[in-house]
Amino acid sequence: MRISTPLIYTLGAEAIERQQVDLFETQQQIASGRRILTPSDDPVAAAQALNVTHAKDQTEQYSTNVNTATSALALNDSVLSQVTDLLQSVRTLAVNGGNASLNNNDRGSIATDIAGQLQQLIGLANSKDGNGGFLFSGFQVNTQPFVSTATGVLYNGDQGQLQLQVAPARALAISENGSATFEQVNNGNGIFVASAAATNGGSGVVSAGQVVSPSAMTGDTYQIQFSVAGGITTYDVIDTTTSSTVSTGNAYTDGAAIAVAGMQVTISGAPASGDQFTLAPSSHQSIFTTVQNLIATLQTQVSGASGAATVANGISTALQNLDQALETVLTTRAGIGARLRELDALAAGNDDRTTQYQQTLSQLQDLDYNKALSDFARQQLALEAAQKSFAHVSGLSLFNYL
Amino acid sequence: MGTSIFGIGLSGLTAAQAGLLTTSHNISNVNTPNYSRQEVLQSTRFPQFTGAGFIGQGVNVDTVRRVYNDFLGAQLQQTQAGASQLDTYYTQLTQLDNLFGDPVSGLSPALSDFFAGVNAVASHPADVPARQTMLSSAQALVSRFQLLDGQLIEMRAGVNSQISSTVGTINADASGIAELNKRITLATAGAGAGEPPNDLLDQRDALLADLNHQIGATGVQQSDGSFNVYLSNGQALVVGEQSYRLAAIPDSNDPQNLQVGLQTASGVVAFRPSDLQGGALGGLFAYRDNVLGSAENQLGRIAATLAQSFNDQHQLGQDLNGQLGGNFFTMPQPQVQVSVLNTGSAALAVTITSADALTASDYRLQYDGANYTLTRLSDNTQQSFATLPQTVDGLQLSLGSGTPAAGDSFLIQPTRFAARDLAVAINDVSKIAAGAPIRTSIATANTGSGQISPGSVDASYPSAALASTVTLTYDGTTGKFSGFPATQAVTVTSGGTSTTYAAGTPVPYTAGATISFGGISIVISGTPANNDTFSITPNTGGAGDNRNAQLLAALGRQNVVANGSATLAGAYGQLVSFVGNTTRQAQVASDAQAKLLSQAQQAQQSISGVNLDEEAANLQRYQQAYQAAGKVMAIADSLFDTILGIAKG
Repeated sequence: MRISTPLIYTLGAEAIERQQVDLFETQQQIASGRRILTPSDDPVAAAQALNVTHAKDQTEQYSTNVNTATSALALNDSVLSQVTDLLQSVRTLAVNGGNASLNNNDRGSIATDIAGQLQQLIGLANSKDGNGGFLFSGFQVNTQPFVSTATGVLYNGDQGQLQLQVAPARALAISENGSATFEQVNNGNGIFVASAAATNGGSGVVSAGQVVSPSAMTGDTYQIQFSVAGGITTYDVIDTTTSSTVSTGNAYTDGAAIAVAGMQVTISGAPASGDQFTLAPSSHQSIFTTVQNLIATLQTQVSGASGAATVANGISTALQNLDQALETVLTTRAGIGARLRELDALAAGNDDRTTQYQQTLSQLQDLDYNKALSDFARQQLALEAAQKSFAHVSGLSLFNYL
Repeated sequence: MGTSIFGIGLSGLTAAQAGLLTTSHNISNVNTPNYSRQEVLQSTRFPQFTGAGFIGQGVNVDTVRRVYNDFLGAQLQQTQAGASQLDTYYTQLTQLDNLFGDPVSGLSPALSDFFAGVNAVASHPADVPARQTMLSSAQALVSRFQLLDGQLIEMRAGVNSQISSTVGTINADASGIAELNKRITLATAGAGAGEPPNDLLDQRDALLADLNHQIGATGVQQSDGSFNVYLSNGQALVVGEQSYRLAAIPDSNDPQNLQVGLQTASGVVAFRPSDLQGGALGGLFAYRDNVLGSAENQLGRIAATLAQSFNDQHQLGQDLNGQLGGNFFTMPQPQVQVSVLNTGSAALAVTITSADALTASDYRLQYDGANYTLTRLSDNTQQSFATLPQTVDGLQLSLGSGTPAAGDSFLIQPTRFAARDLAVAINDVSKIAAGAPIRTSIATANTGSGQISPGSVDASYPSAALASTVTLTYDGTTGKFSGFPATQAVTVTSGGTSTTYAAGTPVPYTAGATISFGGISIVISGTPANNDTFSITPNTGGAGDNRNAQLLAALGRQNVVANGSATLAGAYGQLVSFVGNTTRQAQVASDAQAKLLSQAQQAQQSISGVNLDEEAANLQRYQQAYQAAGKVMAIADSLFDTILGIAKG
C-alpha cells in the first residue's frame, strides 16, 4: 500500500491530538477530583449522583428539623420544669395552710405568698421563644396567651400544635398549647369531684374519694343531704341529674365510707342538718383557677368548727386539683421527654444516612487517584512515544540523500 | 538516419521533460487539499518499416492524467457527509452536556435550597427572616431556571445562525461547481476527448467535498464531463452549468426555527428538516429538533409542575394577614404558534389544567374542515375530535375566538417557555401562606375523652371558606353529632367506606372516622360525653401555624411530575441523564464515523496522494532519462560530424 506524504503528517498529528485529549481529560479529572466531568462521561452514574445528592440534601434537611425540634422541645421542657417546681412549692404552702393551729392571719400571709407565686406561674405560662413568639398560645404566637382579668385568668390562644417533619414519615409535635397544659386539667380526683356546699354549717369534711366499682358509675351528679333529728344524723342520696332519690335515711357514722354509684367518699366530723355534699363527674379546671380558689380559701375569715371544716374542705379540694395539675404538667413533660429521646435516635439515624449517602456519592463521582495517576503516567508515555516517533518518521525523506 | 536519431532523442527529451514537469507539479501540490497526483502516460511512436523490419521512432507523450478512483472518491464524499453531520451533532451536544454537567450551577442545588427555605418557614412560621429566606431562595430558583433556559435559547439562536451561514456556504459551493462544470465542459471539448483537465477536476472535487461538509450531496458524472449534484431528498442542486440557490427562512409553524428551502421565482419551497441528511446542516437539524427542543421542554415541564403544584397547595393556606393564599409562582402559559399559512381566523387558547399530566412534547393541531387532529410530535400519536374544547395530557384546548378554516394548523408548545416565564408572584413576606385556614378545639368543659384532629382542607375549600365557628355537639343518647353547617352535606369515611349524610341532619359518631364537609376534613376519636362540644374555627391570628408550610415542604419529596412518576429533582435527573446518554451515543457514533472517514481518506490517498519519496525517485528517473536523451542527441550530432568528415575526406 502507498502512503501519501500529507497523510503521514495528518495521521501523525491526529494521533498526537488524540493522546493529548486523553491526557487533558485525565488531568482535568485529577485537578477537579471528579471522575464524571460531564454527564456523558457516565450518564447512569451522573443521574444517580443527582438522586443521591437530593436524598442527602433531604436527610440534611431532616437533621436541621431535628435540631429545631430538639431546641424547641428543650425550651418547652425547661419552662414546664419551672412550672413543676412552682406547683410543688404552692402545694407545700397549701399543706401548711391546712394546719389546724393556724389562725386567719397566718393563712392570710400564706395566701399572699401563694399570690406571688401565681404571678410567677402566669409569667411562665406567657413565656416566649427565641423568635419572640409566645410558647403556649398555640398558633396565636403573637397573642399573649394568659391574661388576668376580674373574672380570672383567661386563655386567649388556641389549641393549635406545631408539628415538624423530622423523618420521611414522621411529623413530630414541637409545641404544647396552653389550653392542654394549663386549662384542660381534670379536677377532683380525676374522675369525680367530692365537694362540700359553701353554706354548710356543720364540721363535716369530705375526702377526695375513689372509684370502687367503675361499672356502677353512671356519670350523674349526686348529692348527699344530711339531716339531724333527735341527735341522730342521717343522710339521703339524691341523683340531681335525674332528680330522683337513690336512698333515704341512711345512718351516718363519723369517718365511715359512703358509697354512691360506684364512688366512695369518707365524711368525717359532725355535719349539721341541711348540710350538703356533692359528688359530680370530674370536669376541667385551669391551674390558675385552682390556685386562685386556694388563695380565696386561705383568705376567708373563719371561726369555729364549721369554719375549720370550710378551710379543710377548701384545702383538700385545692390539693386534689394541684395534684391533678402536677400530673398534667408531668404527663406533658413525659411526652416531651419521649419525643426528645426519639429525636436523639433520629439524629443518629440521619447522621448515619448522610454518611452513607456521602460514601455512595463518593463512589459514584469521586476519582480513584491511584488509577487516575497511573493512567496519567501511561498516557504521558504514550504521548511522548507518539511525538518522538512522529519526529523520526517525518524526518525520513529520500530528498535528504539526493 | 541522423535526423531520425535526432527525432527519437528529441521525443525522449520531451517525454522526460513532461515527466519532470508533472513530478514538479506533484511535489508543489503535495499539500493542496484534494489534489490527485498526476502521471504522464507515454507510448512508443509508430515504428518505421524497413526491409530489416520495424525500427522504433521514439516516444510519444499521450496524456497527463490524475490517478483517481471514482469509487473511492464517491465513498469519501459520502463518508465525509456522515462524519460532518455526527461531528456537528456531537459538538453541539457537548455544549449542552457541559451546561448540565456542573453540579454547582445545575438546577438541583437551587431546588434543594428552595425547599430548605420552605422548611425554614415550617420551622418558624411567624419569623420574618425565615419567610424572607424562602422568598429569596424562590427568586434564586427562578433565576436558575431562567439562566438554564436562557442558555438553551442562546444555543437555539446559535444553531439558527449556523444554519444561515451553512446555507451561504452551500450556495457558494453550488455556484462554484456549476462554474467549474462550465469550464470543464469547455476544456474537454476544446482539447479533444481523452485529455482530462486534471486540476479543474480536482478543484471541483474539492468543492464537492466542502459541500458534503455542509450537507449530504451526491455527484453524478455526465457524458460531457459535467457533474450533477443532488441533495439527500432528491432535490437537484447543480445541473450542468446551472446551480440552484437554497435559502434559510423562519418556519411557518414555529418562527423561532429556521428551515431551509429552495429559492424559486415565486418564493421559497421549504424542505422538511428530517429529509435533509448529512453534513453540518443535518447535524444541526438533528440536534435542534431531537435534543434541544426536548431539553427545553423537559426543563419547562419541571418549572410548570413546580408552579402549579406549589400554587395549588399555597392557595389552601392562610397568610399572615389571615387571607387565603394566592399564587406563589406566576404560572407559565403554553405557547400557541399559529401557522402563517392559516386562512381561518381561529385563535386557539391552551391552558394547563393539570401539570402532573404534562408531557415534554410539542403538539400540532390540524383542522380538516370537519375534524381536529392533534398530533403529539414526540411519538406522532394522533387523536381526532369534532369539537373543542378538549382536554389532552393535562392541557385544555379551546377556541379563543374566530373560526378555523380547513387546512389550518397550530403548533402548541406547552412547556417550551415555562422555565423562561416562571416568576415569583409575591414579594411581601406576609403573603406566604404558611398556616392552614382552619383550626379545631375541644371545649374545656368537655367531660369525655374525645379528641379532634387539627383538620385539613382540600381544593374545594377556598370557594366555600369557613365564615364562622362550627360547633359540633355530641348527643350521648343518640350517639350523634349535630351542629354541622345547614347547607353542606357531611361525608363520613371509615375503613375506606364513605357515607354521605344530607345537609342539616345529625351525623352518627364513629371513633376515628374522617368527617368531611365543605372541603374540610377532621377526625374525632376517643369517647366523647354527652353535650361535649368540638369546634372548627377560621384560623384567625394563626401566625404560628405551619401546617400548610409543612405540606408545601412535602412537595419537594412527592412524585408530582409526569403522572406521579418522578419528583421535581428526579425529573431534573432524568433530563441530565437524557442529555448525558444522548451525548454519549453521539460521541460513540461520531468516533466510529471519524474512523470510517479516516479509513476512506487513507484508501483514497493511497491511490491519489502524493508521496514525496516516490516523486524524488521519479525526479531522478526523469532527470536521468533527460540526460540520456540529450546524450542520444549528442551522439546523433557526432554521427552527423562523421558523415560530414567522410564528405570532406
